[in-house]
Amino acid sequence: MSAPTSARTLSPAADASALTAGPLLSINGLTKHFPLKGGLFGQSRGVVRAVDGINFDVAEGETLGIVGESGCGKSTTARLLVDLISPDSGSVILGGRTLGVDLTVRDLRRQVQMVFQDSYASLNPRLTMQDAIAFGPMVNGMARDKAVALARDLLARVGLDPGRFAGRYPHELSGGQRQRVNIARALAFSPKIVVLDEAVSALDKSVEAQVLNLLADLKAELGLTYIFISHDLNVVRYMSDRVMVMYLGQVAEIGPVDALYAAPAHPYSQALLAAMPSMDPDRRTMEAPLAGDPPNPINPPSGCRFHTRCRQADGVCSVTVPVLHALPQKGHLASCHLHIPGSGHTGAAPRRELAP
Amino acid sequence: MSAPLVEIDNLNVRFHGPRTVHAVNGVSLRLEAGETLGILGESGSGKSVTLKTLLRLLPENRTEIGGSVRVDGVDILSLDGRALADHRGGVASMIFQDPMLALDPVYNIGEQIAEAVMRHEGCDKAAGWARALDMLTRVRIPSPERRLKAYPHEMSGGMRQRAMIALALACRPKLLLADEPTTALDATVQIQILLLLRELQREFGMGMIFVTHDIGVAVEVSDRVAVMYAGEIVESGSVRDLIRDARHPYTKGLLAANLHGAVKGARLQAIPGAPPALDGVPAACSFAPRCPVKLESCDLARPPVAEPAPGRSVRCVRAG
Repeated sequence: MSAPTSARTLSPAADASALTAGPLLSINGLTKHFPLKGGLFGQSRGVVRAVDGINFDVAEGETLGIVGESGCGKSTTARLLVDLISPDSGSVILGGRTLGVDLTVRDLRRQVQMVFQDSYASLNPRLTMQDAIAFGPMVNGMARDKAVALARDLLARVGLDPGRFAGRYPHELSGGQRQRVNIARALAFSPKIVVLDEAVSALDKSVEAQVLNLLADLKAELGLTYIFISHDLNVVRYMSDRVMVMYLGQVAEIGPVDALYAAPAHPYSQALLAAMPSMDPDRRTMEAPLAGDPPNPINPPSGCRFHTRCRQADGVCSVTVPVLHALPQKGHLASCHLHIPGSGHTGAAPRRELAP
Repeated sequence: MSAPLVEIDNLNVRFHGPRTVHAVNGVSLRLEAGETLGILGESGSGKSVTLKTLLRLLPENRTEIGGSVRVDGVDILSLDGRALADHRGGVASMIFQDPMLALDPVYNIGEQIAEAVMRHEGCDKAAGWARALDMLTRVRIPSPERRLKAYPHEMSGGMRQRAMIALALACRPKLLLADEPTTALDATVQIQILLLLRELQREFGMGMIFVTHDIGVAVEVSDRVAVMYAGEIVESGSVRDLIRDARHPYTKGLLAANLHGAVKGARLQAIPGAPPALDGVPAACSFAPRCPVKLESCDLARPPVAEPAPGRSVRCVRAG
């Protein structure tokens, strides 16, 4: 298929240097607060701090996993990445170009596509699978016969025989098949990044494994970059190169998957991993790592947002907001006073003089 | 321990409608008092239908139930009227995935628990409320006196789940039926509820049947596990046997698909295809179309149930 023309082609040199020099996607200080409307005249009654100043980079060709509990902001982050909702502040930089400055929403969405959890709600019930996939390219100016040929090609690519499935409607497919169609549709623009927001969570385990294999194949074939959001820590471990742990709209920890799973630094990451069922009948979990539910993101706790549930919380934790701090392992960062030398936490190392 | 607490023999459940669905096909199982059985299966495997039969919660006019179901020596399928109402909540009680559907939104938690206790035990209001307070304390709801007056919408997800458990156990049932009670919960809350159920089950000495699609959850709570596929139990045994030495190809596939300890980059051993439509009585092995090790005979007749070891059963010709 022909690559959609965009501003990118106007300055190939700048584009190439951006790709080799920096990360493919860079998120800086991204914030989204949802106002709570209520009362007699619909005045604002406060805000839900869904995403509160997060930073991260995604390198070309990697898979970044995002984990966290409900209300941690992982789905809001996904929607911000494709501009389904607009951020209050912060920037989305793709290939060196900033959204809203020298990158239009249209260009962003050609390069960043998304697959949602609800495979049925994602598809128009009145469009056949072939038309559903061809719809986007046609809206973007592709001729109908070309778009249909592309759709059939993509159906075959995700393991659905176009002869059997092209003319079917969403209700005639199983959940796993529908999710394959959603993946095919996301690939119609030859995107660089695919955001998978709980894309396999609603599938039965036996079908989930098939779709995970498909995602791995497509990534290898097409050189895709994935942002893989899930609450299932086993799946994230299997799929991701790096993992980001979110808690109440902020990044608690980010790092290479093996390092983070082997030695989680943030007490919340430790609790999340310890809460996984053991899979060993002789070594069942004997104690819940955390008590109570996650707090409400409307009025998040002061200082470190995790301090109300943290066993290692100290005086400083309720006062000062910890920043992401580099740990010895390269690329591994955690926002916990315990790991920030001189933070005032009794367990933290003393502040070191800056090396020359 | 004379008769088992739950005795299901050759249970068949059909739903009539535009097409007949054979939801459960010849399920037999036993549960001793004080024991926990996990029923593991994917959507449409018949696990929830089997569970609901024990409380007769399936729509009467569309459902045809065959076989025999006995709880504590009583034939459940012949219960009617007041006897059925006594059974529900008194002898056997159920907790669900969504507590908002189990709890009444217009009564506070205390009223709901007290009403159930008064109905089943014929006690007065004060005793009912005293039991409600006792139950909220036992399920470890913080400041239970205050929470008695709380309405379901005023509570967090984990707290509502605890309130529903308190309601289900208020009349000291001998059997607790749990239908995916932790599926909608966050990981750190799920483990709290699983530990609580394990503790209460021991404390009250009740039998528990726990339906889940998550092997990890089944391992955390169960003594024995039965794996269901297409309305049949394909394998059952102690949780240790199943985890360490699964015999049915479907169970093996499920264990692999759990990704626990899966090697990064290695292809997953996915089970190909999808579960069958439940249009008829199975005439062959239901899993044969997806089975990696099927034999010719698998397509011809329903495999017999083999018992490779005491307490284990496998519906597979290769299991012998």
